[in-house]
Amino acid sequence: MNNLDTLPKKKILSLFMTCGFPTLSQSKKIFNEILSHQPDVIEFGLPFSDPMADGPIIQEANKLALSSNLSTQQSLNLIKELSKSKNNTSFVIMCYLNTVRKFGLDKFIKSIKNIVDGIIIVDLPFEEESEIKKSLSKNNIHLIKLISPMTDKKRAQKLLKGSKGFIYYVSATGITGSNKLDFKEINKNVKFLKKMTNIPVLVGFGIKSKNDVLEISKKTNADGVIIGSALIQKYFDLKMDLNKYVIGLKKFIQEVKI
Amino acid sequence: MKTYKQPSTIGRFGEFGGMYVAETLMPLLLNLDKSYKKIQKDKKFKKELNDLFKNYVGRPSSLHYAKNLSKFINGPKVYFKRDELNHTGAHKINNCLGQILLAKKMGKTRIIAETGAGQHGVATATVCSLFGLPCYIFMGSKDIERQKPNVFRMKLLGATIIPVESGSKSLKDAMNEALRDWIKNVRDTFYIIGSTAGPHPYPKMVRDFQSVIGKEAREQILKVEKKLPDYLIACVGGGSNAMGLFYPFLNDKKVKIIGVEAAGRGAKTEETAATMTSGTPGILHGSYSYVLQDNDGQIKEAHSISAGLDYPGVGPEHSHLKDIKRVKYFGINDKEALEAFQTCSKLEGIIPALEPSHALAYLIKAFKNKHKNKVVILNMCGRGDKDLFTAAKAIGFDADE
Repeated sequence: MNNLDTLPKKKILSLFMTCGFPTLSQSKKIFNEILSHQPDVIEFGLPFSDPMADGPIIQEANKLALSSNLSTQQSLNLIKELSKSKNNTSFVIMCYLNTVRKFGLDKFIKSIKNIVDGIIIVDLPFEEESEIKKSLSKNNIHLIKLISPMTDKKRAQKLLKGSKGFIYYVSATGITGSNKLDFKEINKNVKFLKKMTNIPVLVGFGIKSKNDVLEISKKTNADGVIIGSALIQKYFDLKMDLNKYVIGLKKFIQEVKI
Repeated sequence: MKTYKQPSTIGRFGEFGGMYVAETLMPLLLNLDKSYKKIQKDKKFKKELNDLFKNYVGRPSSLHYAKNLSKFINGPKVYFKRDELNHTGAHKINNCLGQILLAKKMGKTRIIAETGAGQHGVATATVCSLFGLPCYIFMGSKDIERQKPNVFRMKLLGATIIPVESGSKSLKDAMNEALRDWIKNVRDTFYIIGSTAGPHPYPKMVRDFQSVIGKEAREQILKVEKKLPDYLIACVGGGSNAMGLFYPFLNDKKVKIIGVEAAGRGAKTEETAATMTSGTPGILHGSYSYVLQDNDGQIKEAHSISAGLDYPGVGPEHSHLKDIKRVKYFGINDKEALEAFQTCSKLEGIIPALEPSHALAYLIKAFKNKHKNKVVILNMCGRGDKDLFTAAKAIGFDADE
């Protein structure tokens, strides 16, 4: 059973948070708060020293998490512990390839089997994925694909073939948390993707507020949104006070759940 | 050994290399690969590049018999391939000219680059000035501090310097930021990578543009010595000057090849940049290669007195050449490099950059009173002007007075 196979048809909400941020024990509280809202998907970011596709906010989150020597094993343990109360929420890991490689692919898969429904490996393009994809699919873990506005039709067709879970459509040519949203372009590209696939298309990168979520829902054909940097930004806005942050998160998640 | 033919069409040098980048960059890299293949067959492009090499850079660079140093070592006959005489003072310009001609052909209107020692930044700023393209250089704030003359040079040439404050504030982080900028500005921007690192096709492309060094050296040594050299020696950070010298000799089995890495305070200490001596295979900046990392795959900070070698990764082709044992790699620490820097200046009247000073130090250490009647070519890939303040400080000379 893979929760990603039973995602709702519309208004899917996926929330991204870095594991171990700002510290491991505080991270547990943060994830518990997020999970209590039962979003459709939670994306667990595994911290990496050189997150080259991430903007300054997620970079800072990675840096804080790693500054207390957080290990990959600790992050995976945290995910496992949270999975006891996951219910229908899909668990997705978002990471860089070196983290998986160094941990050992088989050992990594063994640790997340029956816990995690999908994985996004940011720097693993279609051209390099075959071996990893095979191992993942044997264990019923979906390899989630990113598609960007730069991906042309021919390439998109290749990427979409046999894809499971959902499609992560990068709404701006940019790094996480940057650039302005262009709803017209998003709509055009999402429509074009939806002609080629039956799995949900979620829009991520640059979604910051309830208003953005509503606009995406109204003005585009997307099946849902992914929010990451905006969630983490709140922590810095609230002067790194954990109690205030948890309250702030609650309010924010209630708002963006439309 | 079979004829050396690397990389594969998907950018593999043996098991190393590849393209490990976000999907946003993939269409660009594939397009770059296609365009690069196309211009390789373009006679006009070749002619244009050769003309610039000759009249703008001053190629061919000379092959100098370092008589005094040879006598001091009391071993082999040492030749310097003098790429430090190039316009802008290092080998970096060879690659920048090739890449900017390609950028022009691809219709790109904005150039970005990373730099460590500033040599690649200066070379990029130079070609941007020549071709009238806006230039943005990413440079770690630690390097900005220790390479002030090059910072000023880049500014004079019209480049915008973007200080990088993340991570170790040196070359690795500058490359992260440049990649992030590229992801943001994919449509109009060309990223001129300065070393044989990064995702395919960069390691191949940079090697090809730099291999003018080895091609010339081969012709020159055959002319003066009537034979091929017994040894080639070059320093290796990312590895572009070394690949440039080595590549045209890889099929000459009898030529022994040595790459010298910066061991910082020692290859066995935590403060090192000797990737192939102290690192393990991993993924950094889009390619699979040796890298300094911890047990969880977090990239470690490198350390070297030479900003140009201060990089925790290395080009994938070097990793391959190490594994097939075609090239041997050794580490030289800061202190040894500084000594060689002074020895060469005093004996040969050539102030080397701190990068080739590592190759010099290895040569002096390993060949002293040995290998007589042998011929060595050392790649003098950069001049020491940029390092005067760093070296003065390390030696204890007050350069302000």
